[in-house]
Amino acid sequence: MNTDGTQKDIQSYLTFKLGDEIFAAHVSKVLNILEMMKITKVPKAPSYMKGVINLRGMVLPLIDTRLKFGMSETEFTPSTCILVLDINLNNESVKMGAIVDFVQEVIEISKDKIQPPPTLGNKYKSSFIDGMVKTEDYFIMLLNLEQIFSTDEIVSLKGVTSEVAS
Amino acid sequence: MDKLKQKFIEEASEHVAEIEQSLLLLENDPDNPDLIEKIFRAMHTLKGAGSMFGFEKISDLTHNVENIYDLIRNGKLPFTRNIADLTLGASDLIRLIISEENQSEPATLEKYENMKEVVSNILSEISKGNATIMDEKAIDESLMATYYIYFKPGINIFNNGTNPLYLVEELAGMGKSFVLVHQENIPDLENLDPEYCYTSWEIVLAAETSVKTIREVFIFVEDSAEIEIQELSKKDLFENKKFLRKLEKFIPGTNEIGFDQFKVLAESSDQSVANKLKKALGDDYKKTVRDYSISSIRVASEKLDHLMNLVSEMVTTQARLSLYVEHESSGELTTINENIQKLSRQLRDLAFEIVLVPIDTIIIRYQRLVRDLSKELNKMVVFQATGTETELDKTVIENLTDPLMHIIRNCIDHGIELPDERISKGKPAEGKIQLNAFHSGTNVHIEIQDDGRGIDVEKIRTKALQKGLIHDEANLSDRQLYDLLFLPGFSTAENVTDVSGRGVGMDVVRQKIANIRGEIQVESQKDLGTKITLKIPITLSIIDGLLVEVDKTNYIIPLISVSKIYSIDHSAIENKFNNYIVLDEERIPFFYLREEFEAAKNTEGQEQVIVIQYENQKVGLVADAVVGEYQAVLKPLGKHYRNQQIVSAATILGDGTVALVIDTNRAINYFSKLITVEESL
Amino acid sequence: MTKTILFVDDSESIREIVNFTLKNEGYNVLVSDNGKNALKHLDGGNINLIITDLHMPEMNGIEFIKEIRKMENYQRTPILFLTTESQVDKKQEAKAAGATGWIIKPFVPAKLLEAISKVMR
Repeated sequence: MNTDGTQKDIQSYLTFKLGDEIFAAHVSKVLNILEMMKITKVPKAPSYMKGVINLRGMVLPLIDTRLKFGMSETEFTPSTCILVLDINLNNESVKMGAIVDFVQEVIEISKDKIQPPPTLGNKYKSSFIDGMVKTEDYFIMLLNLEQIFSTDEIVSLKGVTSEVAS
Repeated sequence: MDKLKQKFIEEASEHVAEIEQSLLLLENDPDNPDLIEKIFRAMHTLKGAGSMFGFEKISDLTHNVENIYDLIRNGKLPFTRNIADLTLGASDLIRLIISEENQSEPATLEKYENMKEVVSNILSEISKGNATIMDEKAIDESLMATYYIYFKPGINIFNNGTNPLYLVEELAGMGKSFVLVHQENIPDLENLDPEYCYTSWEIVLAAETSVKTIREVFIFVEDSAEIEIQELSKKDLFENKKFLRKLEKFIPGTNEIGFDQFKVLAESSDQSVANKLKKALGDDYKKTVRDYSISSIRVASEKLDHLMNLVSEMVTTQARLSLYVEHESSGELTTINENIQKLSRQLRDLAFEIVLVPIDTIIIRYQRLVRDLSKELNKMVVFQATGTETELDKTVIENLTDPLMHIIRNCIDHGIELPDERISKGKPAEGKIQLNAFHSGTNVHIEIQDDGRGIDVEKIRTKALQKGLIHDEANLSDRQLYDLLFLPGFSTAENVTDVSGRGVGMDVVRQKIANIRGEIQVESQKDLGTKITLKIPITLSIIDGLLVEVDKTNYIIPLISVSKIYSIDHSAIENKFNNYIVLDEERIPFFYLREEFEAAKNTEGQEQVIVIQYENQKVGLVADAVVGEYQAVLKPLGKHYRNQQIVSAATILGDGTVALVIDTNRAINYFSKLITVEESL
Repeated sequence: MTKTILFVDDSESIREIVNFTLKNEGYNVLVSDNGKNALKHLDGGNINLIITDLHMPEMNGIEFIKEIRKMENYQRTPILFLTTESQVDKKQEAKAAGATGWIIKPFVPAKLLEAISKVMR
């Protein structure tokens, strides 16, 4: 066992839903999960930047993940959550909150089950996805958070799961 | 024989010349042992050679003078004016003697006899019982002076029956004293071994004595203790009230102070030193004195960081308390809370004073640098700085000194053109380097702007192509080309001058700035100049803010920028021509914060116009309500929001929500641009 | 309280002078001509200071000092030894054995008292 609890070829991921699509982030990048709270809006920012919140004395920027992925705006329900992410951008540790519709569970995925990312038309799409996993009923897209959040652009991942399925 | 005699005369003249020269040098450097040695040897040689070649008189004369110098070089006789004159006389005489054909000129003989007498008199005085030397010693002893003594007995010193206290008592009994006991190394009872000595002493002693005599007190413990004895002042410092007061402030139990600090204390209490400084430095005096006081406190920087963190938490918690007290007010609790608020404000201010230091402490040396360097390169450059009262952490400033130095060097070396070139370009012969420092959110910006030739992007492109750093077809923006400047070893300067040097490139500068978590940006325009901006985060920033409400959301406006607040009915500013309003007979532009923060406009009721000011520009910000004052601990907004126009930091309110802090500088810049746009329409 | 000094030296004349000087200063004085005998004086446990020569018959000064330090009551008692200017290594040895300080022979009474005041008050 490695010190982070993973065996060399089995990794842990946190899965979450945006609408009907399921995505996963590596657990090492997720600090914790928060319930929705009052957001302070920061004006004149990209549409997917929702504002900031107070995380134990630190001001944390919030991103509407749906909007970031080119989907429609998040409609807040009791299940809406914030994933506090800690990713490495330009050799700096950057923290941010990602708003998601639904948080599912932590699953263990063995390396041999990971399929290469889909190459669908636009080549940029693939760099945002490290790989995908097929379970009985559905596909899970494993996200490359660094790539996604290092750009200010909207990352068009809408409908990617259904594209692959068909 | 004659040939040899001739040789002797030649050599003798040389020796005499050497004696004369040494004597002249000794005038300015009376304790120089090498010079004394030189004279001694010269005399010695003359003595030997003189008798060999039949110049007995020279031999006799020099024999005695040589003795005198032997005594001097062994420290048994001081070199005085008298001796100097005597020696000169003797060497003149020697010259005279060797220049004369025959040694029996009466005048010369007389001189010779006189000289001999003088010399032997001196010698007999000395042998009479060292009267001169005794006097010297007596004088030495009766000279008042203040000394610093550090005494740290070895840990095992009790083992041979020594009682260090007796020694301290003996010292104290020699004159006026101040004894500082250091017991901080004494472990607690569990770990204490009573056989060991953990104590040390620092003593200030004013007495008519000498370092030698003081050392004798410690004669039995010389090799089993750490002893330091140094002179602090040639006066009795205990007569100086200022010094005494400062001494009283030393509390036992604090860490060892050290000779240097005492010296600083002594000098800063010394009025005459202060006056000398004043004369020498003029305006810079105040700053130098401030340097003294800055360096007289030595606290570990981790302690300072800890202090600041605690202060920040205290401020935030106190805000929550205030909020609670507001809602559940009971008379007594309100009063108590007010007191806590006052105290926490004072504590915060004090903590800042300790940790933060204004930039002007390092600006002085840049003035110097510019002056010296421009002279050296035959350029005319003037250096100006604004915002020098802007404060930064002491450690950050220390890390900024070198990079700034290098940037300014670059400006003068590569940026500013020679006066002729400038004139031919229609610029004033004198170049200008402007340094601006100001706060922006949780950062301090330092801009260095010159009006020189700017950075030639073509040169960069060419050089980069040469070095194979870019492809021919690569279409790089100016910004990307400037970035290339930061690569190691990259220099487009024609000659690598001594000034900017090789190896201290912009890559090192960027690294040093990155080490303090800062950023560096370059902007430039050909022939107009270059502007380099450093953005450095401050560890902690707490400001007094004005809490305002806009569309049910709270915002903070730094109180320091608030000029005045007006309460105006909406109708008075509705449809105002070009968004100008006359307040107190001043025409001020105003802007609706509601609009800026993307909320619907009010249609009626009272509006609050908060006039903010930066330098000479005033702008009115319209908010719904002014809630009150608030001590805001500034938090950075993060990379995602670095392009905000009017907001650059946030704070956490008493109820846990985040409030944005309006950046006055940015806001005024932004709104001024809007005005210009509108006016041009 | 009157202090008691033990002085050990094999020369009678020196013992006389020191005895006289110290008694004059108000000290109680015990004298002995060699280390072995002196140890008996120490049994009582009431000596406040020991001054000893280094060259003595039967037990030399260094050994004597070491013996003193072995005694529980005299671990911290100041010990001075007499030495001539040139005996630098003897000084080291004596200090290593546990001596506190020294007096240089020949000495005038004033020097003796000066050395005592450094180690005992």
